[in-house]
Amino acid sequence: MAERKVTVMAKVGLHARPAATFVQAAAKAPIDVTVAKTKGDPVNAKSILAVMALDVRQGEEIVIRAEGEGAEELVDELAAIASAP
Amino acid sequence: MTTVLAPVEGSAVGLAAVPDPVFSAGLVGPGTAIDPLRGPGKAVAPIDGRIVKLHPHAYVIVADDGRGVLVHLGIDTVQLRGEGFQLLAAEGDRVSAGQPVVAWDPATVEASGRSPVCPVVALDAGAEEVTAVAVGEVHVGDELFRWA
Repeated sequence: MAERKVTVMAKVGLHARPAATFVQAAAKAPIDVTVAKTKGDPVNAKSILAVMALDVRQGEEIVIRAEGEGAEELVDELAAIASAP
Repeated sequence: MTTVLAPVEGSAVGLAAVPDPVFSAGLVGPGTAIDPLRGPGKAVAPIDGRIVKLHPHAYVIVADDGRGVLVHLGIDTVQLRGEGFQLLAAEGDRVSAGQPVVAWDPATVEASGRSPVCPVVALDAGAEEVTAVAVGEVHVGDELFRWA
């Protein structure tokens, strides 16, 4: 299990462009990947609906988890997208 | 099959006409966009379901089968911080297709230097799942597209 904790830095939070870019990158991977708020339930990171409904605001921390081949690289990539200003 | 209704009156112009690559490149999902009639109006729910996200400038309705439709009222309208938008429903409410959700005026959005065009997107849908997409003049509640 690969796991990264990052703070979402985009002004709009994990919505609009950051959300679309995040989900697009997650959906390309052939392995399962989830995103959760700290202490929250994980949701499918490949679902734009799930990510929008998660409603992550600027400054909130999220946890990205993936398991399988390429999981480390995937969580690194998603963490970079989520933490981009 | 889900029938998605036009949430606003105007002209259906397609997502490619949206001046935001996130929508025009289909990154959010397939659907279309409506160039809305200028003047005060009420944006309605495009499907029956629950309002899972409600911002002044955008909302997501999720049907009982889990399908979600996003309505975005104008482009970069998050920057208006709700000014010019009035919520007519609350997050978590159950709504019927055609029920008013947000009152707004596309002319005000345009006057702020932003595009008032409204993407209506089938979230998590494959491009081939969206068919019978309306083109040209649509009235509130008209069939906008079908989601297979």
